[in-house]
Amino acid sequence: MMSKISSLKNFNLRDKGAAFWAGLNLPQRAIFAVAMIFLAGALPFAGDHSFTNFLNTPISNFADVLVYPVGMFVLMSLGLNIVVGKSGMLDLGYVAFFAIGAYSMAIFGKYTHLNTWEILPIGIGFAMLAGVLLGIPTLRLRGDYLAIVTMGFGEIVRITALNTQKIGGPNGMANVPNPPSIHTPVGQLDFNIMTPNSFYWFVLVLILLTIWMIRRLSVRRPGRAWEAIRQDEDAAELMGVPTLRYKIWSFVLGAGVGGAAGVVYASKTLYVSPEAFTFNISVLILSCIVFGGIGNIWGVVLGGVFLAYLPERIRFISNARQLVFGLTLIVIMNFRPDGILPRKKREKILKSKSEAEVK
Amino acid sequence: MNKKTKIGVALAAVAALVSGGAVATSAHAVTYKYYIAYQGPLTGDNKQTGLDEIAGVKYALALYNKAHPTAQVGLKQVDDQGSGPGASVVAPGTAKDKTILAIVGPAFSGASVASFPYYKAAGLPLISPSATRVTLTDPASPDFGGPVFHRLPSKDDKQGPALAKFAIQGVKTPVVYVVNDQSSYGTGLDGYVQSALTTLGAKIAGKDSVDGTNTTLDFSATISKIKNGAANVVIYSGYYAQAAGFVKQLRNSGYTGIFASGDGTYDPGFIDGAGDAAEGARLTASSAVFQDAGKAISADFKKVTGNAPGTYATEDFDAANIILAGIAKGNTTRAKLLAYINTGSWTGLMGNKIKFDKNGDTAGAGFINGFLVTGGTIISKGQIG
Amino acid sequence: MHTLISQFWQLTFSGAVQGLIYVLISLGYTMVYGVLRMINFANSEIFMVGTFATIVMSRDILGHQPNSANLHGFTLLYSMFFCLLASMLASGLTAVVVELVAYRRLRSRGTNRLAPLISAIGISIVLSESVSLLTAGRAVIAPELLHKSSLFTVLGANIRVDQLLVFIVAPIMFFSLQRFVNHTRLGKGIRAVSMNEETAKLMGVNLNRVISITFLIGGLMTGAAAFFFETVYEATKFNIGFNIGIAAFTAAVLGGIGNIRGAFVGGLALGLLETYASAVLGSQWKSITVFVVLVVVLLFRPNGLFGEAIQQTRV
Repeated sequence: MMSKISSLKNFNLRDKGAAFWAGLNLPQRAIFAVAMIFLAGALPFAGDHSFTNFLNTPISNFADVLVYPVGMFVLMSLGLNIVVGKSGMLDLGYVAFFAIGAYSMAIFGKYTHLNTWEILPIGIGFAMLAGVLLGIPTLRLRGDYLAIVTMGFGEIVRITALNTQKIGGPNGMANVPNPPSIHTPVGQLDFNIMTPNSFYWFVLVLILLTIWMIRRLSVRRPGRAWEAIRQDEDAAELMGVPTLRYKIWSFVLGAGVGGAAGVVYASKTLYVSPEAFTFNISVLILSCIVFGGIGNIWGVVLGGVFLAYLPERIRFISNARQLVFGLTLIVIMNFRPDGILPRKKREKILKSKSEAEVK
Repeated sequence: MNKKTKIGVALAAVAALVSGGAVATSAHAVTYKYYIAYQGPLTGDNKQTGLDEIAGVKYALALYNKAHPTAQVGLKQVDDQGSGPGASVVAPGTAKDKTILAIVGPAFSGASVASFPYYKAAGLPLISPSATRVTLTDPASPDFGGPVFHRLPSKDDKQGPALAKFAIQGVKTPVVYVVNDQSSYGTGLDGYVQSALTTLGAKIAGKDSVDGTNTTLDFSATISKIKNGAANVVIYSGYYAQAAGFVKQLRNSGYTGIFASGDGTYDPGFIDGAGDAAEGARLTASSAVFQDAGKAISADFKKVTGNAPGTYATEDFDAANIILAGIAKGNTTRAKLLAYINTGSWTGLMGNKIKFDKNGDTAGAGFINGFLVTGGTIISKGQIG
Repeated sequence: MHTLISQFWQLTFSGAVQGLIYVLISLGYTMVYGVLRMINFANSEIFMVGTFATIVMSRDILGHQPNSANLHGFTLLYSMFFCLLASMLASGLTAVVVELVAYRRLRSRGTNRLAPLISAIGISIVLSESVSLLTAGRAVIAPELLHKSSLFTVLGANIRVDQLLVFIVAPIMFFSLQRFVNHTRLGKGIRAVSMNEETAKLMGVNLNRVISITFLIGGLMTGAAAFFFETVYEATKFNIGFNIGIAAFTAAVLGGIGNIRGAFVGGLALGLLETYASAVLGSQWKSITVFVVLVVVLLFRPNGLFGEAIQQTRV
């Protein structure tokens, strides 16, 4: 039993996964990736089959839960991960960008003839603009000072929405339009309240695009600059990395992903109100990242899925489900402080290398 | 304890938690053919409202199941945390669950608006005990919930003028200060109070919005403004817990004028919270507290549900009874039950006649009673509007 | 604007009272930050536990009834004393437990800075949800220990006895704490750890003990704030800590987090700022005003009003 536990403790899924991936050749990788995407795409149907219906959520509908909270949380976690995980800045007001995207969708969707697909870039644009406006004055701040300023920004956005009667004030805005249908070669994809699957697939596409973007950037100049900033900002600055510019970039990219999530959210739920954009959401998204494995895309995805899904799955314990959620955070953080799927530690690799050389 | 033992203990704890969950699921295994659901905040900041409300539903259901032992009806708890986003998560699943014939709820207006698209599509009848936003039953508004939505409390646009009128009753030159709690309910009611005051020719000395969604208890700045405006009437639109703290500080500051508030404050909890400061407070509400139905039934309520009847218990009890009466008459599909609710008429707990108009409001009723807190109890002053 | 001028001293007095409560809570953030360089996210719930402890002591143990107790003389004195003691001890012990559960194991493993933050958030949720289950999410009313009568009027400001109590006792507590940290052996240990953990360890400071004591002291101060809060406002709820916790944390940052004197200035400034902003712009804009001022202050003084440059803190 004991040995089992310790092997469990030393079991490192990320290394196993990385080893598996490294062992594949290009076509194998492509097949594997396509198979995985296909599996993820088939997930909404899992609730309807007897051998997977243990996944079903009580009260709430499984396919809808996959869109919000699960899909949205994963998307936002990936976005926030660019800021917190990649470049090491603590952002406690990420929900502001989600709110800006959602309100963009609600306002443009109701008062103009633009549809969701046309508003999507607008919402992303507004969120990125907000990122720039907030980033330029505040990104000079370090560590926890940045944390509180971003937290303040999140609250400012929410309170402004709450007290602006033009956009509904505390009542929010109802009747936000659904996205128009998409015509695909295999048939028409409708987006309305009866078709959570289409929303899920769309969110899945956004998630894959975000992952692709992060992976591309990570191995290129911005990724290296972020890594340098995260490791030691002063050293990075001395070595000629324009730290402020790359920090703003990571901030703005993260904001854009949040904005995209907001647009889809408003268009899916047809209703936005300030109560959807509380500080708690920012904290929750941050928890997803740290819980899953900060800095590691797959860890972040896993964290988002788990923490968004858990409270829905345990709805049968009604009152106490938040308590269980809190306990889970404590237990997992204590036993896997770097998350379920931690990122590779550079120090660790170097250390094991030098040890090998000595041997 | 060494490290390994610790991990073992932790794993055991997790295992216990999971198996506990399994037990909870199997305890859920008592299944009924038909269910009614209660939708409201059962977790989160507003959960006391939801817990009070669901007790009213549970009580009605307990009485029903005792009278119909062979055709018992179950209760599903739909927790929307009292918020729109929370409702968007639960509404699709609730709409899809065909065993649920009707819902008592949603408790809050924002949650109602967020849920409507799903329930309209599913034809699932709703009777809300406490959603008072005017636009919910206004066919011209995007918030409109017809034909599935019905509600028992009176609307803010009925209550606002009545509250304004009652608050300044007998005051020679009313100078009014209005305060809301930034909630959807508070700002909505406050708006109607203000326009009614203008119509009545009362002077509005000023207005403020305090933070009621969270738990700020420091109202000193607002109170300074009230004193500065030399107001002799203060109208607070918000819920009772905060209203109690507010009136306490207002009285402590030496304010001797009138304090008035709406049905969010019409709760025994207001007097418990404010004590002497509640004395003389003028309140308006369309209903009566459950306790008015008699000592015996209130005691039985507590025995059955473990809760003393709380806010909106009357409305919950009535709403559940309307639905259950429909089920007892064999309306065991959503469509039949909806038709029954749209056309039927009933007698409520207080002996009042209940019938819904085509938009989902209680037809003909909508009267508002005035109440005065005297000697630590809420005394009715009769109908005022 | 009119209100601000005509009621200036009244606003200043009540703002200062509110500010002094912030000062004591922000010590819970700033002291912990000083030694650990970590935000003690659970401090808002440590405060919440204190408010409930005050009520349990006065209502359940001493048997005072809400809204009826009008205490005098000796009864009043010992009631206040026991309530203060209960609140401080409950908060202090909670803080120590928080450190043990959320921070210690992670600290000894030298992990990233965010893991303890999340486990502290976990504890926050567990504490507030447990209390919410116990109280059915209801507001709980505290017995009135001090009758809220107006004592005297200064410059047009009503001075109430409960507020005066905060006005006098809170600064005394603060300055005794400052003395303690500056002049006792233990206090020096805390300062040593906050300056350089490794060196302090080499010099024979028992790190775990010092950190536990820091949490204890932060908790004691937060508990005292909870007692004062209950004396003035006489009500609490499971989520009472959330807003006031954010405000106190903001105060700590405004003053320069990690700096005890900064907490005093930051807390007081925040209390006044909130009250003035509410009077001028309306209560709904007060938190926005606070954050805007905070951003402006940080732009010119990136480490807060009194903060010394903290060595780079990595996420």
